[in-house]
Amino acid sequence: MAAPLVLGILVAVTVRAVLYRSSLAGFISERVEVASPLNAWKRVVEGLALLDLGVSPYSGDVFHETPLIIYLFHFLIEYSELVFMITDVLTAVALYLAVQDFNKVVFKKQKLLIELDRYASDVAELIRTPMEMHYIPLKVALFYLLNPYTVMSCVAKSTCAINNTVIAFFILATIKGSTLLSAIFLSIATYQSLYPLTLFAPALLYLLQRQFIPVKLKSKDFWLYTTQYAALYLCSLVVIVCLSFFLLNSWDFIPSVYGFILSVPDLTPNIGLFWYFFAEMFEHFSLFFVCVFQINVFFYTIPLAVKLKEHPIFFLFIQLAIISIFKSYPTVGDVALYMAFLPLWSHLYRFLRNIFILSCVLIVCSLLFPVLWHLWIYAGSANSNFYYAITLTFNVGQILLISDYFYAFLRREYYLTHGLYLTRKDGTEAMLVLK
Amino acid sequence: GQNAMFLFHSISPYPSLLPLSFHHHSEFHWFCFHCQDQAEQFFRSGHTNNWAVLVCTSRFWFNYRHVANTLSVYRSVKRLGIPDSHIVLMLADDMACNPRNPKPATVFSHKNMELNVYGDDVEVDYRSYEVTVENFLRVLTGRIPPSTPRSKRLLSDDRSNILIYMTGHGGNGFLKFQDSEEITNVELADAFEQMWQKRRYNELLFIIDTCQGASMYERFYSPNIMALASSQVGEDSLSHQPDLGIGVHLMDRYTFYVLEFLEEIHPASQTNMNDLFQVCPRSLCVSTPGHRTDLFQRDPQNVLITDFFGSVRKVEITTETVALDPNLVGLETRVPNDEMATEPLKYAEQLPVAQIIHQKPKQKDWHPPGGFILGLWALIIMVFFKTYGIKHMKYIF
Repeated sequence: MAAPLVLGILVAVTVRAVLYRSSLAGFISERVEVASPLNAWKRVVEGLALLDLGVSPYSGDVFHETPLIIYLFHFLIEYSELVFMITDVLTAVALYLAVQDFNKVVFKKQKLLIELDRYASDVAELIRTPMEMHYIPLKVALFYLLNPYTVMSCVAKSTCAINNTVIAFFILATIKGSTLLSAIFLSIATYQSLYPLTLFAPALLYLLQRQFIPVKLKSKDFWLYTTQYAALYLCSLVVIVCLSFFLLNSWDFIPSVYGFILSVPDLTPNIGLFWYFFAEMFEHFSLFFVCVFQINVFFYTIPLAVKLKEHPIFFLFIQLAIISIFKSYPTVGDVALYMAFLPLWSHLYRFLRNIFILSCVLIVCSLLFPVLWHLWIYAGSANSNFYYAITLTFNVGQILLISDYFYAFLRREYYLTHGLYLTRKDGTEAMLVLK
Repeated sequence: GQNAMFLFHSISPYPSLLPLSFHHHSEFHWFCFHCQDQAEQFFRSGHTNNWAVLVCTSRFWFNYRHVANTLSVYRSVKRLGIPDSHIVLMLADDMACNPRNPKPATVFSHKNMELNVYGDDVEVDYRSYEVTVENFLRVLTGRIPPSTPRSKRLLSDDRSNILIYMTGHGGNGFLKFQDSEEITNVELADAFEQMWQKRRYNELLFIIDTCQGASMYERFYSPNIMALASSQVGEDSLSHQPDLGIGVHLMDRYTFYVLEFLEEIHPASQTNMNDLFQVCPRSLCVSTPGHRTDLFQRDPQNVLITDFFGSVRKVEITTETVALDPNLVGLETRVPNDEMATEPLKYAEQLPVAQIIHQKPKQKDWHPPGGFILGLWALIIMVFFKTYGIKHMKYIF
């Protein structure tokens, strides 16, 4: 399986290299859908230039990256294109290895459940075979590498690619079962952008599963392991934050990075939901609504944890998707990361209800983004409502996509345990409805 | 004495239309008295050239009448002698070639299609989307990019009489441009003040035909401006009859009656501004036209219509010699001593280039502190060995 992956990597690298040399590179790096105030490349360059002039890059509203990015690009700024291509490749390879391992785990668990006779008798067609799962890691890697969103994000040199790499390594570490590495990568991911904090829950659930510790609130083992993981995570987070202090000898970066993410002062349009609301909100209410919007991201973790505690990786996928929809400055790079996981759930295809409409909505919206931007900003015939309509539709499409997959997953689980052909008490065929 | 001063000014380097007989700096003697009267009249208005800026600010087919208004004034002004090179015509939409026009290539100003004001020698300088507040103000103040062609410039000087006619949709204190922006009376007043300070006009006649048009001239504060408006604040300017063949209103009432008035003027008319103020009384116009003359230095009684609407070249051929004021000789000798003995002024260097290019570049490159690098890599190595075991150490060292 290495050869097709290498081929895929070569193709992806070629595509990116070609685009870097073409005139599209400048156009793409200016697009608001790809570069947000948090991860735009020109802000990185600006911050490093300010540093060369002896000014702290966090003074003013230009630079919102963490000090680790400063350190990384201080030495690598001339090779920035190579760096971004390598990060994409690393992400793809990490996802590949992670999914390979995960498939083994899934298959083992399925075998165990079949032997334990937990499945109903007529669900033979729902059982997954190694043959169909053979190409999934490759598909995941290729989905990430060749996704137009990823390519655009890479060509624009948005540091979202680096965030994705860290999250991919975190996923790899989690699936391999290493507590320390998983905690460290999660803390780096949280340090970079605040929202991966919510990935703590699915990672914990997966690691508990791997250690065969059942999730019972009264169990001592459970609490011991949870505290161990949480302690590792928090300690590494504290260590990284303190280390960043020593880079510039100031705590300036905390309000500039985390204050900026949480209070959303910059209302440049992007593909998210925050900008339009806050552009027309009265000052009086903005604090309240900022809190509401931010809570919205973290809010789904606990209910999903309760519902999906047997399936932590699916939970991880849903959580990643929720982060990239509801975060304060989303870009298409974030969307690309969770879309890379879709081949993992390709066996749910028969239960997906709206997949055609949703894929059409997503494709059409992606194509309409630059059109309506042009109409609004350059031609003056449209206004922000038009662009926000497309943003809304895009996000609604994404939300419906996730809820469709969620529904399909739960339906399959139900069929597995209750049989494929459900009958009511009087023998007629029953319909399964998600309430 | 005053008349001779005017004469002296007129000979100095301004593009003037004075006849040849006054070009020589020789002595003239005023011998006849009625020639003196004529000469006085010669210098009465003090302008030597005429300009017109005619602006129609609305687009869309149902605003046909605004374009027709502007084109009627254009037609009158051209007929009375102002050439196209001295007219800046701004039309926000093309009615003659509009697909909804049942009579293409025509713009009628009178019901029953009696008068086609479009003709075949109309030169539109600013057309369609070029008619914006910014372009209008740039034309007035002269702050135009160097690449603008001459036909789009208002190349007036301090001896120019300018007629500015604006029509469109307006309100209390503003005039709407193109359905998307507006110019306020304050902006307009400031633009005229800029023109005054840059000596871009001698006298200005401002006519506006919009709803509540009088609000647009309320804020003027520069001298030598006379303003007319079709309605007072709080009143709407109404349109004249619609034409059932074309399907829209063809003209606004005020401009319709002004056009009727102007049709009777010919280049030699002695009609003055007071007659123009009487055009379109309330019985005909429904709104009350207003005017403002407090900033104007001459009595409107003495201001001829052709001072603004026509380009009357004042040529008086006379065979009699005219005696000039003897004070003129003293004036000539006084001029060479005018140079003041002040110290020469030097341009202050804004950017001391000589200093900059000769100093060595002070590159303060930033380096991450050693402690940080050490700490970071120590952590990374620690994590690496914790994960993969100490046994790898012996392979590295």
